[in-house]
Amino acid sequence: MNIAFKVENLNVFYGEKQALKTINVEIPEKSVTAIIGPSGCGKSTFLRCLNRMNELLPIFRMEGAIIYDKENIYAKKVDVIDVRRRIGMVFQKPNPFPKSIYDNVAYGLRIQGIKNRTRIDEIVEESLKKAAIWDEVKDRLNHSALALSGGQQQRLCIARALAVEPEVLLLDEPTSAIDPIATARIEELLRELEKSYTIVMVTHNMQQAARISAWTAYFLMGELIEFDDTTKIFTNPSDKRTEDYITGRFG
Amino acid sequence: MKRRQFHRALDILFKGIGLLMTLLGLVVLLVLIADVFLDGFARLSWDFMTSFPSRRAGRAGIYAAWVGTVWIAVLTALLAFPIGVAAATYLEEYAHKNWLTDLIEINIANLAGVPSIIYGLLGLGVFVRWMDLDRSILAGGMTLALLVLPVVILASREALRTIPSSIREASYALGASKWETIRNQVLPAAMPGILTGSILAMSRAIGETAPLIIVGALTYVAFLPTSPISSEFPFFNSEGLFDPFSVLPIQIFNWVSRPQQAFAINAAAGIIVLLLITFVMNGIAVFLRHRFQKKIRW
Repeated sequence: MNIAFKVENLNVFYGEKQALKTINVEIPEKSVTAIIGPSGCGKSTFLRCLNRMNELLPIFRMEGAIIYDKENIYAKKVDVIDVRRRIGMVFQKPNPFPKSIYDNVAYGLRIQGIKNRTRIDEIVEESLKKAAIWDEVKDRLNHSALALSGGQQQRLCIARALAVEPEVLLLDEPTSAIDPIATARIEELLRELEKSYTIVMVTHNMQQAARISAWTAYFLMGELIEFDDTTKIFTNPSDKRTEDYITGRFG
Repeated sequence: MKRRQFHRALDILFKGIGLLMTLLGLVVLLVLIADVFLDGFARLSWDFMTSFPSRRAGRAGIYAAWVGTVWIAVLTALLAFPIGVAAATYLEEYAHKNWLTDLIEINIANLAGVPSIIYGLLGLGVFVRWMDLDRSILAGGMTLALLVLPVVILASREALRTIPSSIREASYALGASKWETIRNQVLPAAMPGILTGSILAMSRAIGETAPLIIVGALTYVAFLPTSPISSEFPFFNSEGLFDPFSVLPIQIFNWVSRPQQAFAINAAAGIIVLLLITFVMNGIAVFLRHRFQKKIRW
């Protein structure tokens, strides 16, 4: 098993408040890793560290290192734009641009300087197919993305993230704002994508973590309590606190 | 039961008062416009539009005045819009929150409320005298641009603030730089709002008289500024910017203050033309706004 991310002594602060405490973990590549834990435990913060999205907040400060592809992504010489292109992200609330479906997917390609229309057409179609939404939107690529349903919008956002050919996909509770049927479709999609992408997903839903992830990390109050094989976490956790959480004693 | 009836009566009463007030505003406006049209409509003619001012009311026209107004309006828009949007973008998207930006913010809000005549004095001091632009269109346009700039900045910031941060995050997450995010996502989404605010500001500028009188707009102009279109390459001529000028409000003011009835009729006709120019400019802005709204698909 190869390692995608190696997180070393990660400490994160928002102003005075410490959000993550000395996290050490290795996230395997080409599989789904779920991050679970109660609200405010730092799971979203952790996810946003992996593609440097946290830096957009002026009060964010961090210590430690996150090694991706043999390089600390927080090193001075690393270009943050390159990090975010290689490590894509899908957010909790579907956030398509107020543009056409086509333009939403093409945007990432255009900012990379790809001008060739046929090339863009190809990638748009391919990405929408990968995100399992092509059949629903192929006849109305020029319609507003905001006219789609919530579940469709979220799959469009996944297509948009896939279009720039990332190596990793980070998902921050991607199904929490979506109905159960759309959720099932997205889960199915993630199982498919797992074959070619490293996927790290924050979820509130423990059944979801059990259903689709190979690995699970349990966070509590800014600490990584346990990281292990999903089956092990859900059947025989090493830590008492993990057991309390997954058996529903709190959280 | 009594209480409920009382509240219902109160409801109806307030609805009635509200309707009355709305009608009052509209009716007064309509009466004013109707009055102006009755007085001036008959005076409107091709001759009136293409004649220079004259001592005799029957031969006087507004050629120089309306051309001057169009020059000034276009120049003001060209100056105030880019500067205003750039300033708003900087303040909203780039500037860090500290005492300096707070100070700038308070100042802009205050400047929006400064009487226009003060801007006239500023224009006279800086553009006409210090920069030695004399009583030119450029000096007048720059003065009016200063006048509307705070309003354009405030409206643009308001529009930028309505764009949800999730749009920005989505763009960053795809590997877009800050400028790419602003240029491709934030500004286009905010453009309808920015245009609406700028339209209102421009309408104010077209009607301004006081600052232009101070800057030295003439009341009697018997020639046009040099045409901006030239027959030779590069087909553009900027000499007109340095010519003296008059504008419609000044011409109207001048005619209204004459004792003869015939000049009052001229003034009414001039007002109709000024209203039309304002409508046309607003129309262009509404058209642009509509186009942007169609491009962004909320």
